[in-house]
Amino acid sequence: MGADIGQLRAMLYAKLTIDDRRPITMGRQRKQKKDRKWAIIFNMFISFFMGFLYVMPLLIVKENIISIWFYYTTFLVLLTFLLITDFSNILYDTKDKFILFHRPINDRTLFLARLLHIFIYIIRTVVPMSLPGWIVISIFMGWKAALFFPIPLLCMLFMAMFFVNGIYLLILRLASPHRFKEIINSFQIFFAILIFGASYFMPRVLQSTVFQHIDLHAIGWARYTPSYWLAAMWVWVVPGKALAGSQMLSALAIVFPLFCLWATVKWIAPHFIRSLVAIDGVEVAPPQKSTKEAKKGIYKFFTELVNKTGGAKAGFIITWLQTSRSRTFKMRVYPSFAYVPMYFVYLLTLNKHSLKTIFSNLSETSYHLGLMYLCSFVMLQALNFLTISDQYKAAWVYYAAPLEKPGNVMIGAFKAIYIKYFLPFFASVSIVVVSVWGLSAILDVFLALTNVTLFAACIMRVGFRRLPFSVMDQMSAGSSRTVRVLVSLIVPFALGGGHFLAMHVWWLKLIFLTLSAILLWLVADSYANTDWANMKKEEL
Amino acid sequence: MEPIITIRHLGKQYDQKTVLNDINLDIFPGQIIGYIGPNGAGKSTTVKILTGIIQDFYGEVKVAGKDLRENVLEIKSIIGYIPELAEMYDLLTPREYLSFIGKLYHLPDNIVEERSRRMLESLGLLENIDQRMDSFSKGMKQKVLITSGLMHNPTIVILDEPLSGLDANAVIMIKELMQVLKQEGKTIFYCSHMMDVVEKVSDRIVLIDKGSIIANGTIDELRQTAGDTLENIFSRLTSSTDQVEKADAFASAIHDITNNK
Repeated sequence: MGADIGQLRAMLYAKLTIDDRRPITMGRQRKQKKDRKWAIIFNMFISFFMGFLYVMPLLIVKENIISIWFYYTTFLVLLTFLLITDFSNILYDTKDKFILFHRPINDRTLFLARLLHIFIYIIRTVVPMSLPGWIVISIFMGWKAALFFPIPLLCMLFMAMFFVNGIYLLILRLASPHRFKEIINSFQIFFAILIFGASYFMPRVLQSTVFQHIDLHAIGWARYTPSYWLAAMWVWVVPGKALAGSQMLSALAIVFPLFCLWATVKWIAPHFIRSLVAIDGVEVAPPQKSTKEAKKGIYKFFTELVNKTGGAKAGFIITWLQTSRSRTFKMRVYPSFAYVPMYFVYLLTLNKHSLKTIFSNLSETSYHLGLMYLCSFVMLQALNFLTISDQYKAAWVYYAAPLEKPGNVMIGAFKAIYIKYFLPFFASVSIVVVSVWGLSAILDVFLALTNVTLFAACIMRVGFRRLPFSVMDQMSAGSSRTVRVLVSLIVPFALGGGHFLAMHVWWLKLIFLTLSAILLWLVADSYANTDWANMKKEEL
Repeated sequence: MEPIITIRHLGKQYDQKTVLNDINLDIFPGQIIGYIGPNGAGKSTTVKILTGIIQDFYGEVKVAGKDLRENVLEIKSIIGYIPELAEMYDLLTPREYLSFIGKLYHLPDNIVEERSRRMLESLGLLENIDQRMDSFSKGMKQKVLITSGLMHNPTIVILDEPLSGLDANAVIMIKELMQVLKQEGKTIFYCSHMMDVVEKVSDRIVLIDKGSIIANGTIDELRQTAGDTLENIFSRLTSSTDQVEKADAFASAIHDITNNK
């Protein structure tokens, strides 16, 4: 295919050696050798247990080929998600441009080296994840199925890889490098929401009678899906009802990935290096004209309104601006806005009544409390990723500046997250609550708001005493901090529990509201007065 | 005249390794001090101690008559630190980044806005003031760093390879700027590997190697012979072997490998 095997082997070996000393763990890096080993094993365990989710169609649906079709569909969607979120960074990593790009390496060699690198990593996730399916299929369909299982799995892997990467390169040809990054980021957010929804609602869908009695011929369109071509391969091994022409369709499962590989290497990979340079290159965009009254920005209004000290204002500004421009932050935090309503609906439907019944009786329940307290998840996600940045070294400015209390910066950052992300979201939820539960729920809204804010402040006080965008890896947080954060999770339970008990006693709610507000002020004040000595303790 | 920076018996260790060993130095107001030394000599550590980034050290450091340990905030507010190609939050525009820095130094918004505009204009960056810095070249980022280090009108300016990434015009401008700042009575502590620039701009040169000061004086005091350059002085004092010999050995290694092929 035009790739230099010697160079390919050398690049792959170097990459794997580097990763072995600093492996990628779900897109992050680990520092200590012991942690690395356990991280890999831990992630393999997680993958293994996730594999049970995809086994459900195999257990529930009676028809072999349909059940396998669903199995491959869910697996393929997950693989696509993994490739887009975790591995786009490998494919489009330009950090080694000064090492490789000026050497006599052709685009195909570089492209295939990256692809193989991803392939080796994805095997570590896919193999444990496929084990539950492998076991179930072997039990249901016999030893021939057990031996045959890896073949369509491999085809699926190649299909996903070449398809996704081909799409990437195509987008890169059609869109500007900046737009490309934005599009990928949007995909990442969308898929995160999709996977979350699927993990909660798929079991319900699969258990529905409609699904269990699904007729193959009613889904004739399935023959056009790659996951069906993979499922169709099984007609050679196990008996089962299948769509007409499935034996021919099964050939597509082998031909299609080979075609994708050939197409990407022949047409798109030749421009790979150029594309990489474009993504990373200095886009000398025309300078933007600043108007005489330079863009005010609503953040400037809030900066002055809610912050007293210079440090707080600085923390507010950097957080407000950085969070809306950081793709990493957006990818990790934005999906949580969808998680909350989805999880709420999931909880509502746990009792197996129809949605119509549930919503018609909603105003007579206290479910609005659950919805409002669930909003704390958004706050928690945002605060969790507030301190993490690839540009963590830029935090040197905090140490060089005459900053008496780093807590000032941190409280400013907290306020930015609160005003920019949490308040608008909670306000939207409150509108829904008041419209369904009536004006009598307004006191509940204020109490829940105060309690959730108190919870967030407690989390920050106990677990996140770091300057904004100053830390490389949150996963390497010490175990004592993890314990403290876990213990502080008692707080929302206690607060929500107290709120629930006071549901029908309005004056009790007022007392709780007052107490909660006082506690919030005390915790926030303590957080804002964090000094350098306390920061040092935190770092240790 | 009293020194503006007084360093006595300054020492710093990392684990068992001594990085700074009994540094003694007086720096007077309005001087440009060229602080040079090989890689790993202790230059950056000295700078980080002076700027308050490292607070764990032995010895005594006084700045403007005040003890660094006891008055670190006050001292930080009169020091402007410009590191070499340091990381910045480059998702921000220069205007936003300088506003953020201004807040850390408690500068009023109107002062920050005015100074940012004028300083960036002098550096040829005014039309990029609202452009995100992730699209900037190295030199453009360094100009923003220079602006951020001087915006609060510090008394002492610490420069660590400030010319890195700059084009020739900007280099000339920064060299002139150092002279202007000196005439204003500011003290400049200038770390660099560019010997010809250090030689030209510095009033005094301090040469550090393996954590100790091995030379301290004007270029004339350090010269052994007429026409001796700072580069030669540096090499003589810090290197045990002739650099020309090293270069020959390197080049011959390539030829040997080529011949063996």
